[in-house]
Amino acid sequence: MRSSTFRTGTNMLVFLGPASFFLVCLLLAPIFVDLVVAFTDMAQTIRINEFTTKQFSKLVRASEDAWLGFELRSSFYRALSLSAVYIFFTLAIFNLTFGLILALTTTALPDWLGGVYRAIWLLPRMSPSVVYALMWIWVVDPTERGLLNQVIGVLGFSPINMKLDAPIVLIVTANGFIGASIGMLILTSSIRSIPEHLFFAARADGAGSLSIVRHIVLPALRWPLSYITVFQFLALLVSFEYIFLIMGPARSTMTMAMLAYTKTLAPDIGAGQYAYGAAITLILIVIGVFVALVLYRLANMTRLLMSPRIEVQ
Amino acid sequence: MANVELRNLTKVWDQVTAVDGINLEIRDGEFLAVLGPSGCGKSTTLFMLAGVYLPSGGDILFDGARVNDVEARSRNVGIVFQSYALYPNMNVLQNIMFPLRFQETRDAAAQAREMAELVQVGELLERRPSQLSGGQQQRVALARALVKQPNLLLLDEPLSNLDATLRLTMRAEIRRITRELAVTTILVTHDQLEATTMADRVVCMNVGRIEQTGTAEDLYLRPDTLFVAGFIGSPPINLIRLQASQRAVLDVPDTAETVGIRPELLHSAETGLPVTVTTVEPMGRETLVTADSDLGPLRFLEATSRPKWSAGDKLHVSFRSQDTIVFDGAGQRMSDLHAAIG
Amino acid sequence: MAVAKTQADWELLARRSRRDRRIKQGLLIAFLTLVTIPVVVPFFWIFVISISARTGGVESEVLWRACAILVPTVFAYGAAHTVFRRARQRIYAAVILVLLAVVGLAFSVGDDLHLYNYRFMVNPNLVEELRGAATAGGQFPWVWVAFVNSLFVAATSMALKVTVATLAGYYLSRFAFRGRSQFLQGLLILEVFHPWMLTIPIFLVIFWIGLLNTLAGPILVLTAIDLPFFIFIMKGFFDAVPWDIEMSAMTDGASRRQAFRMVVLPQVRGGIIAIAVLGFIKGWEEYVFVTALRTGNSYWVMSTYLYYVAEDVMGVDYGVVAAVSVIYIIPSLLLYLFCQKFLTQLTLGGVKG
Repeated sequence: MRSSTFRTGTNMLVFLGPASFFLVCLLLAPIFVDLVVAFTDMAQTIRINEFTTKQFSKLVRASEDAWLGFELRSSFYRALSLSAVYIFFTLAIFNLTFGLILALTTTALPDWLGGVYRAIWLLPRMSPSVVYALMWIWVVDPTERGLLNQVIGVLGFSPINMKLDAPIVLIVTANGFIGASIGMLILTSSIRSIPEHLFFAARADGAGSLSIVRHIVLPALRWPLSYITVFQFLALLVSFEYIFLIMGPARSTMTMAMLAYTKTLAPDIGAGQYAYGAAITLILIVIGVFVALVLYRLANMTRLLMSPRIEVQ
Repeated sequence: MANVELRNLTKVWDQVTAVDGINLEIRDGEFLAVLGPSGCGKSTTLFMLAGVYLPSGGDILFDGARVNDVEARSRNVGIVFQSYALYPNMNVLQNIMFPLRFQETRDAAAQAREMAELVQVGELLERRPSQLSGGQQQRVALARALVKQPNLLLLDEPLSNLDATLRLTMRAEIRRITRELAVTTILVTHDQLEATTMADRVVCMNVGRIEQTGTAEDLYLRPDTLFVAGFIGSPPINLIRLQASQRAVLDVPDTAETVGIRPELLHSAETGLPVTVTTVEPMGRETLVTADSDLGPLRFLEATSRPKWSAGDKLHVSFRSQDTIVFDGAGQRMSDLHAAIG
Repeated sequence: MAVAKTQADWELLARRSRRDRRIKQGLLIAFLTLVTIPVVVPFFWIFVISISARTGGVESEVLWRACAILVPTVFAYGAAHTVFRRARQRIYAAVILVLLAVVGLAFSVGDDLHLYNYRFMVNPNLVEELRGAATAGGQFPWVWVAFVNSLFVAATSMALKVTVATLAGYYLSRFAFRGRSQFLQGLLILEVFHPWMLTIPIFLVIFWIGLLNTLAGPILVLTAIDLPFFIFIMKGFFDAVPWDIEMSAMTDGASRRQAFRMVVLPQVRGGIIAIAVLGFIKGWEEYVFVTALRTGNSYWVMSTYLYYVAEDVMGVDYGVVAAVSVIYIIPSLLLYLFCQKFLTQLTLGGVKG
């Protein structure tokens, strides 16, 4: 009896111990650290002198007239709306719509040919982020030597400077190419898991390609599409890697996640305002959890819990 | 509603030949069963008829016209799958109405209801496929296949997912409905009982080729090949490979290689071939006896539920010469030749 | 009522079906090719720059000339592939076209190609020579230092991820213990907390345990952030292994752990390879955490190396920057190409909670 409980204990320690250690120390603990640090004055010296809510007062200020009793300070308001625009367009245009189009078209082709196109679309995802960002910087180079300007030059337009004139379009597209490939992967495997006989039956019943997409494929993609929406929303909400690498600390693309990063840890320009960054992070965590809960509820959480078709990410 | 003809139809997957040049004609209104072990190419043939697989060679003709390149949706063929393939996101009525979406039909809902009544799922119209039992799903699938009044109805192992009693009911039911609608029907199955009880004519297939076409009786009593003889019948036929010792006992033509005799046509007798009983298996109305003899092990049926023999008993068995079937070295039946105890 | 169709009707239908099929396939291919070009051309451009640029600006003339040869070649092969049905004919067509393309490229761009931009691989002090020891070039390492560091980070974190996720995945799949469902739900919730969200507090934790400015910092963090996802993948793979296999091994006298090692583990090889590849590529390309977890230039990895090459040191020498990018991308690309089979298996294996 004793040896069996001993064995159970050691089994748990051997199999689950390492995972628990990593998860607790480097994912769970940081969440609580953030919670605490957000209410301190921690700065470059990484020392806590006092507990305060002044970090949040940098973001919002009390106001009699405002609806909730406070209003957002302009830089924070700007970051918030930039995040919203960036997330909405990336998700709606690329991760969902274009991902769906890629999945539908590549699965309609013979297997090997569809596979070739899918492999090419995974290229941005598999290449290192610094290389990918560098590529974009060169492509949108404002001089006539940039690839984009060469192409539109042939079409008779004068050179454009996307980093200055259309920064949001630039970061949405750069992130979108990667987002579309994630959507494509998840949706492709979902389409593949639809029983072949359903397609046969629909064709014998007289349905054309478009009717098959509408009546057979799309209904089967409801769950994967909500999964992509939830998880890609969260990923985009906190993503700053490509934005930072392509745009640098430009004000025109200072989303919330960028704000937190550039105020703290960004190389060379990070100002070490850790408490301030932690406060923004805390807001991101709250928004993330809130949206996740709402979407989970809308998309029937239990179902998502049962079969999240998690793909390469 | 249509004459269907297959001419030298072939399907090759990469290197594997699934269907190897089959020729077949199906008359208008006929109920044909395609019978064969799994992997014999019978489902592939069915899917080529439906238009979901493209033939690699040969022709499919509807009323004499070549339809190889006609898409599935234009062929007006109804099909019932082994998995039923009901659309999970639609209820029963929507499922049955689905084929009518793509036709100019004035009263689709009424037609669908009528068909639902015919297959007796009229009370289930609002349910989703996941809320139906296997037999109910089967009926809905049948209604969906029939609602557009197809030229040809294809049934792919429709009963194999049902339990034994339901299978019995559905067998009769499908037969009734197809007769009522006088629709040309092709049933694909690996179950010989299904094929022989339901069909007017049975085609027996093996490794992509047709072994024999004929009535159930033809296939059972006059199998053209060794394969058909062995595949059809339960308990299986006794097949005796003729070597010197067997030829000493039996009086057979020299060119014969194998002799077959159905277990129920062998019976115990006062004289005949001496055998020793090895096992006795009561099978309900009958008893299956296996015994050793100079010809090798033999199975025979005794029409009694109370076994007369037990293991170790010695007795004689005999048979009528005209009941034996003789095959040559290539496995073909040598018609009008028989074997007798010599 | 279905009206019996005549011969002519069927022929019309067949013709229409053939035409529709061709049009549909043609449109799909045209569409996909069109949208895929913007993805593939920039990568090719970087490669072309790395083997053709002289000191000076970004060049794209060579790119266009190369494309003028390669695009017709690809289309010609597409045509040949549809015309020829036999594998052998297709191979012949491919070989002939490749030879033609090589000859064409030699004539059109052959004179512009050189490997001079790759001299950073053999010259440890390139930057110092170009800029002088007093500038940023002085503390800038040889590329192989960064390369080996990156390799070390990627390989170590990969090994940790695979080991930890496999053990945990097996335990969660096979053992009943108190708190199992809570643990699984907790994992799902942790997945919501995208690691980038936690950059700042993770930095603080690493600082407090004294691993700042060491390679151990990024290795441990990279391991942790992929864990929830990888554990779910491995659990999915273990769930798919039939219980019977394990039970029969145990009735044959193996202990539970022996059964795991000798019988179950080989069954999930595909999953292990898949997470190993993903884990390696992630460690190889990591930028955010390797920069966040160091102050100053205490260690160099490929991402920071390329970043500084492009930003500060060699910013104007596009040829060298492109050449570094090519060297940096090759390991990821090779790994991805050779293990694609296992990665697609991953998408089918799915994850069941």
